[in-house]
Amino acid sequence: MKRSLFHDFIKGFVEENPTFRLVIGMCPTLAVTTSVVNGFWMGVAVIFVLTFSNVFVSLLRKSIPDDIRIPVFVILIATPVVIVELVMRAYLPAMYEILGIFVPLIVVNCIIIGRAEAFAYHQPVLNSLMDGLGIGAGYTINLMVIGGIREFLGTGQITIGSVSFPGTPLFEPAAVMLTPPGGFITLGLLMAALNIAVARSENRKKARRAA
Amino acid sequence: MEEKLVISSSPHIKGPKTVRGIMLDVIIALIPACLASLILFGWKALLIIMASVASAVASEALYEKAVKREVTVGDLSAVITGILLAMTLPPNVPLWIPVIGSAFAIVIAKQIFGGLGCNFVNPALAGRAFLLAAWPMHMTRDWLNPLTYDAVTSATPLAVLKGTGQGTLPGIKDFLLGVRLGSLGETSVLALLLGGIYLIARGVIDYRIPLGFLGTLFVGTLVFGKPGAFFQGDGVLAILAGGAILGAFFMATDYVTSPVTARGRLYMGIGAGFITLLIRLWGGYPEGVTYGILLMNLVTPLIDRFVVPRYYGYAHDRAAKEAAAGGR
Amino acid sequence: MISLKRTSGGVRVDDKKDLSAGSPIEPAGIPGELVLFLSQHTGAPSKPVVKVQDLVKRGQLLAEPQGAISAALHAPTSGKVKAIEPRYHPIQGRLVDAIVLEPDGKNEVFEGVVPRARDLDSISGEEIIAFVREIGLVGLGGAAFPTAVKLTPPADKPIDTYLLNGAECEPYLTSDYRLMLEEAEVVIFGFRALLKAARVARGIVCIEDNKPEAISAMQRAMSPFPELDLAVLPSRYPRGGEKQLIEAVLGREVPPAGLPLDVGVIVSNVGTAFTLGKAIRTGLPLVERVISVTGEGVTRPSNFLALIGTPVSYLIEKAGGFSGTPGKVIMGGPMMGISVKSLDVPVLKGTSGIVVLKKEQVKKDKMLPCIRCGRCVDACPLRLLPVWMAAYAERGLLEEAERARVLDCCECGACAYECPAKRPLVQWIRMAKSEILAKRRAQNHARK
Repeated sequence: MKRSLFHDFIKGFVEENPTFRLVIGMCPTLAVTTSVVNGFWMGVAVIFVLTFSNVFVSLLRKSIPDDIRIPVFVILIATPVVIVELVMRAYLPAMYEILGIFVPLIVVNCIIIGRAEAFAYHQPVLNSLMDGLGIGAGYTINLMVIGGIREFLGTGQITIGSVSFPGTPLFEPAAVMLTPPGGFITLGLLMAALNIAVARSENRKKARRAA
Repeated sequence: MEEKLVISSSPHIKGPKTVRGIMLDVIIALIPACLASLILFGWKALLIIMASVASAVASEALYEKAVKREVTVGDLSAVITGILLAMTLPPNVPLWIPVIGSAFAIVIAKQIFGGLGCNFVNPALAGRAFLLAAWPMHMTRDWLNPLTYDAVTSATPLAVLKGTGQGTLPGIKDFLLGVRLGSLGETSVLALLLGGIYLIARGVIDYRIPLGFLGTLFVGTLVFGKPGAFFQGDGVLAILAGGAILGAFFMATDYVTSPVTARGRLYMGIGAGFITLLIRLWGGYPEGVTYGILLMNLVTPLIDRFVVPRYYGYAHDRAAKEAAAGGR
Repeated sequence: MISLKRTSGGVRVDDKKDLSAGSPIEPAGIPGELVLFLSQHTGAPSKPVVKVQDLVKRGQLLAEPQGAISAALHAPTSGKVKAIEPRYHPIQGRLVDAIVLEPDGKNEVFEGVVPRARDLDSISGEEIIAFVREIGLVGLGGAAFPTAVKLTPPADKPIDTYLLNGAECEPYLTSDYRLMLEEAEVVIFGFRALLKAARVARGIVCIEDNKPEAISAMQRAMSPFPELDLAVLPSRYPRGGEKQLIEAVLGREVPPAGLPLDVGVIVSNVGTAFTLGKAIRTGLPLVERVISVTGEGVTRPSNFLALIGTPVSYLIEKAGGFSGTPGKVIMGGPMMGISVKSLDVPVLKGTSGIVVLKKEQVKKDKMLPCIRCGRCVDACPLRLLPVWMAAYAERGLLEEAERARVLDCCECGACAYECPAKRPLVQWIRMAKSEILAKRRAQNHARK
């Protein structure tokens, strides 16, 4: 069966959602998601790196020797990471300050190397491209949602550029949401919610098949 | 008629103790402290306790309804969580603080892990830790002057002791009666002791936990309490000021999050006292009871794994220990 | 008096002994039919030496022991052997061969039943052991282990102490209490005979402190004998368990899967000593025993001297019948006894009591989640950790359960009694035990 390109793209949102279903790439998920904007730019960086590395791994998959594939992957991943890092430093210096070490650390992000190993190494270029875009986009949405919740509850508002959506004075911001415990709590609850939703829809599907 | 005889295997009789009865005993034991808080801090204390209990019970019922589990508020454990959380709050906090704290305690710390018996940290303390991290300004400044009910933001005795706040220390008599700044239920030492002794006398809690806790705190403070000199610290003050008594008798003794063996419970008490001591003397916060107990809650499974009695008929407890270690 | 060494665990139980403690032992009389199982005791069933239609007299041998661990069986009264057929065995829960005796009401005593000795100087230890075997004596505390086997331990296991178990820690039961109160002299005589037979120099009578009258009666009876001593135990169930008794009185611990003789001790029940004492003086074998018929569910809680094989229904009638609607009829005590489904079953040599609980007492408690209160741990007399054993058993984790020493559990029920969440700890543990043993048997079988 030929894999559908659309499916390869869309699966990154729910079915193989990297954060909530595959539970990979957790360090930046917890560390940089104190605001929507942080989450967005981190996500964009990952989309770029992931798509780049997926495409090149896929292109070279026939000529990469099995035994040394991991070092080769790392080189293929490090290249776009360096590009992202330099571009960010040049054009988004403030954001680069905030994301800090987590941009170069994309090199060892499990999502990238995981997709290379599990997907791009065995799949055609176009599929790998879609996979990279899809998983990356899913990841970006996750970071933005977590960041949004934490930013809103932790600072009392969500600020995107010069626009801000205030929550105060409806409630007092809870400082804990900006700290790691707040990140864990948000992540855990979202993960539970998504898993419940997926389990329910699978049950429904099963029931329909049975009927 | 004979067909109606019940057949079952032994034992055929069971003791009179019930979970509900035990929880009721704990509530009874908390009544003196609640009354003391009413006298000391007025109607505000009552409102906080009521809000906290109502929120705890409602959260438990709503959550269990939502996930289609049996509603278990009848076991009264949520009521205790509500009261205990209220006891740890400054008397002048806005009412949404106990409401959110209790909801967090019940839903996040207890129900999500499976409800009664499955939580791995004391829910009330988890609620307090959350509130402390979320709204530190309220949790460390919303004090009321006892008996006069004036709102003040000056430092609690522990903060004074620590040197992070300005103020005068009350005398021993005021400490015993609770006439000093502090959380709702932590101030009146006499009322707390009354409840604690009731619980020990009724066999509800093991004396080893409060003994280990307060003993360690007393000795530790006595020895290291004064910088630069040994055996100059004020051990008595360490027990009286802050929430040590409330924590030792009512929080650390929570069944679910303390070890099941007698020896284990002693270790748990000592450990909690030790961590409290570390935080108070050398940590960043003036008070360490919350984290002392929470951290020992996390260690409880380890204690249960390694502190096992010497089984009857076995010469050394090594065999038993190996059995327990391998078994888990 | 012996000072206690170490007591662990145990629970304070509402012992309900007042119900029947004031009722003197009375003969229950002769029922219309006696059912005598060939396996009354631990070990191999005995082998009938009578045929159907045979006429037998009280005290006459009905079945002889078979193999090393077995016991003889005698006719409790005179009458006709009506049948030798399988009957429902209340303890084993299956059909087991039994001799059915139809009493003729004359209660004629067999010619061979003659007094053996007036005092212990006129009978040797070997003779006592032979006599014990002859009269089919077994431990009357419940397990019904043949006494003659106990009295002849292997040569490499020297015995230094003989414990007489009068603790009677099971709630409700008062048969041992009444015996000690009414027949202290015979009990002590029998105990001294046991000491002589086992060549043990020291005997200790163990009684729980909730029986002060029995203590003083026994103290009086044993005062002339310097080799006898008294140990008064705190009344905490199950202090009267063999292992618990040995630990409390001597500070010794029976090794796992071991026997009291491994630590130089023999334990016998008060009823056993009484039966032997009486038998030496009268020649009458073990054909009757004291049984408490008690509980809120009977009208007149009593202590009967009942013939072995008497139907439970007969005894309940003698005790005034049911009071209210019966919910459960238990053979033995309520902590370790066995509930019966029919009142037609007969009492056995090991039946120390029949407890009838009212219907309203037999309510099914709602089980709550474990709150880890540790009461079961504090209650366990073997210092095991019932909370984990039961948790493993409940989840089918047999290996973990075995490592938690689930096989050592004596199923005394103290943990379940204390459990405020009303969890069926003993049932889970029992299930794990039987599954582990079944697995072992299967493995052994496969190896062969």
